[in-house]
Amino acid sequence: MKTRLDKDIVDYALDYARSKKVEYAEARAHSTKHEELVIKNGALDAFVSTIDSGFCVRILANGGLGFASTNKWTKDEAKTVVETAYRFAMMARRKDKITFADEKGVKTKWSVEQKEKIEDIPPEKKIDELMEIDKTLASQEIKIPGRIMVCSINLIEKYFVNSEGSAISSFVPQIAAFAFITVVENGKPEQAYKQFGRSGGWESFDEWKMTEALLHDAKVLQKLIKEGKAVKPGKMDLVCGREVTGIASHESCGHPIEADRILGREMSQAGRSFIYLGGPYWIGTRIGNDIVTIVDDPTVKNSYGYYEYDDEGIKARQRYLYKDGIINEFLQNRETAAKLGTRSNGSSRANSYSREAIVRMANTFLLPGDWTEEEIIEDVKHGIYMKSFTEWNIDDRRFNQRYVGREAYLIENGELKHPVARPVIETSTKTWWSSVDAISKKVEFDAATCGKGDPMQGIPVYTGGPVIRLGEVYVK
Amino acid sequence: MSEVLAKTEAIIKKGKTLGADEVLAKTTFGLYRQTRFSNNQIDITVAWNDYVTDVALAWNKRLVATQIRNFQNTDKTIEQLFKLAKVSKENPTYGGIAKGTFKYPKATADKKLRELENPSEYVFEAIEAAEKEAGEVDAGGILYTKYEDVYLVSSEGPTGQDARSAIELSIRAFSQRDASGHGVDCCSSLKDFNPSRAGEKAGEVAKLARNPKQGEDGRYDVIFDPLFFGSMLGTWGGMASAYNVMIQLSVFVKKLGQKVASDIVTLRDKPAEYSVNNRVFDDEGFPVQENVFIEKGVLKTYLHNTSTAKIFKTKTTGNAGLVQPAAWNIEMDPGDISKDELFSQVKRGLYLTNTWYTRFQNYATGDFSTIPRDGIFLIENGEIKQSLKDLRLSDNALRLLSQITGISKERQHVHWWLEAEPPSLAPYVLAKDIQLTRPK
Repeated sequence: MKTRLDKDIVDYALDYARSKKVEYAEARAHSTKHEELVIKNGALDAFVSTIDSGFCVRILANGGLGFASTNKWTKDEAKTVVETAYRFAMMARRKDKITFADEKGVKTKWSVEQKEKIEDIPPEKKIDELMEIDKTLASQEIKIPGRIMVCSINLIEKYFVNSEGSAISSFVPQIAAFAFITVVENGKPEQAYKQFGRSGGWESFDEWKMTEALLHDAKVLQKLIKEGKAVKPGKMDLVCGREVTGIASHESCGHPIEADRILGREMSQAGRSFIYLGGPYWIGTRIGNDIVTIVDDPTVKNSYGYYEYDDEGIKARQRYLYKDGIINEFLQNRETAAKLGTRSNGSSRANSYSREAIVRMANTFLLPGDWTEEEIIEDVKHGIYMKSFTEWNIDDRRFNQRYVGREAYLIENGELKHPVARPVIETSTKTWWSSVDAISKKVEFDAATCGKGDPMQGIPVYTGGPVIRLGEVYVK
Repeated sequence: MSEVLAKTEAIIKKGKTLGADEVLAKTTFGLYRQTRFSNNQIDITVAWNDYVTDVALAWNKRLVATQIRNFQNTDKTIEQLFKLAKVSKENPTYGGIAKGTFKYPKATADKKLRELENPSEYVFEAIEAAEKEAGEVDAGGILYTKYEDVYLVSSEGPTGQDARSAIELSIRAFSQRDASGHGVDCCSSLKDFNPSRAGEKAGEVAKLARNPKQGEDGRYDVIFDPLFFGSMLGTWGGMASAYNVMIQLSVFVKKLGQKVASDIVTLRDKPAEYSVNNRVFDDEGFPVQENVFIEKGVLKTYLHNTSTAKIFKTKTTGNAGLVQPAAWNIEMDPGDISKDELFSQVKRGLYLTNTWYTRFQNYATGDFSTIPRDGIFLIENGEIKQSLKDLRLSDNALRLLSQITGISKERQHVHWWLEAEPPSLAPYVLAKDIQLTRPK
């Protein structure tokens, strides 16, 4: 592929930065060829096609950090960007100086292969395939008056160089889609949201089986309106489908384990963590049942959160966040790792050249157990099976969370009964992970866009896991 | 005509020459600066310069859009865009873009916000103000400035220039690990900016929030701080967009002319001069205006661009984004009592100072929850009695509007992160009988 990045200007920016009195400097170019198709209630609302290409410079000088970016590709602009970043670093006047954990320079190239190259798929085909899904939904007997589908394609090229000798080029094609539907039955609306995402080529679109998934949701919502009954509040077993396991792993394990949050760097926006120095939870503290092991792994092939090197040039690897129910490892970048006396584990990501790379998850999921889904359900005397969720949220310490079921059923004596209308679990991180008493063998993933940073940096991730059972928890 | 405006106009000419029915181009030269701080120290200062032209092109009711950076490859990009339009599909509901020539008021952006000499001084001023109120605090937040030169040309007539500026300081101060307060100061010009105001508020709430006790489930009369209510105004403002109504992401579907709030509630969208989202025209070049969308509790209008207005058989309200209409700045009309008088009306209730993570079970019915953060206080006989923690507001967005019984005279311009978006002018609000829940 012909590069859209002028590497000479990026190298020039780094050389110019190195001519200053810096402790560390890096230049990162980032180009995204983006396409977005929006289908609203059966009509193609808009087809957007853009290329956003620019570069940034980050400088560590006098123990302070400065960052500047531009999309003007000239050497003069590169000089201005370096001067700005250097000036910002010098004016920080920090009492405790920022340092970066040691790393050696890396020279490499990496990319994600495409079976069906996105660049070869004509726009007509993309439009037709998405329109066909909407047509199928609209032709059902189920009334779906609100339908919006968005398909996003990103071809992302990066070039990273730093003052330690790193030079890393990468290319990642990403394809994503989301759909939001409203089903109305007897005048009552119910809604479902579904997201799909993958690194790779156009082959992803077929693999998702979007039509099947959305039809399933539409039928579930119709049945829910017709037959759904309220739950009788009380303590019971709660079986969670992979969507629910996945969101809980992301929210109450992945986020609180981010080292920048633990150190307070996100305190005024995304918040802090229940894990902090001198507090009741730290590495080695029990947070869940010993069958609970949650990992974050950027190296899952073709995953939505896939990368081989992070945006500080650190090689990606699997991280064991909670291991056997114990808090085990934080997600680190070079700044947090230096503060905590360790090494970066390759968790630094940025969604654009105009954004500072910060500590992020990649693909966060619970490792499998030895039950089948059927065995888990058969073993429940009285409970709820919450297969998917609607509303969810968690406090900014990542301890007090709530999930409301979308597709949910009553379980009586090991059998699934009628749909349950919006069952709610509102509990703590400790109670949630300590209550897990059965985990299925099969791990599945859902695509999601994780939000963090100011300005907001939506970043692609997988959430996921197996089916789990929480024993004797309060459901209302 | 300025050089940038001429280059922007050249894009329109190119599109029309190729055969496009309508072409719209908006060039923004933006300078954005942000200083991030935590643990009372500056973590990083960042600058991002963005030179971008947003282009929308319509041909036979096919709408396509692109962006051109720094006027590079302009002709080639427009040719590719036109080709894309030709293979695209007709949108039968596309209703065009604004036609006519308009006079816009002179832009009032503050040129001092192009580049502040030493932004860190404002940060330290805010931290000091918080410490003056609460003693030793652990504070974090952002200082953000924006300066945009905007040039818009439309094949349908509108041509104009705007300049938009903003300065925002958001500070969260912790007096204890579980006791915090949050303050913001948001302005369109430096002369009105007062970082100490935000620091004082954060410090004052952080001090009061010390030693919180577990809150209990129940229905409470609630006083909402402007910071909290600004988030809710943003939610209702988003739901007033005709686009969101069409896809059922709104509690206002089929409710025009109906009662949706208590009689004392009037909400308007108004990108006024003070607002960090101030502007003189929308993304179609139509002059922005004041739109009262809820008047004395009755839903009067949705917020439109030309296309959605046509579908709803009305006129654009000047809320066009390039694809969908959006609110600019929500104002809640003030009440006739003071904040203190509002508190005196509460025999037993809660004062909620801030919130985050608002999520809906169902946007059409309005069932949602949101998590109060920073100070949560029990009020007895009009006075703050105890700091609380771990509560969640779990109710309904329409019901909340109808439960409002008191609105203060005092209002504050509120905007922070994505939690209070779009910005708003929010008062203290009293709502009766609101459901709060806690984890078990």
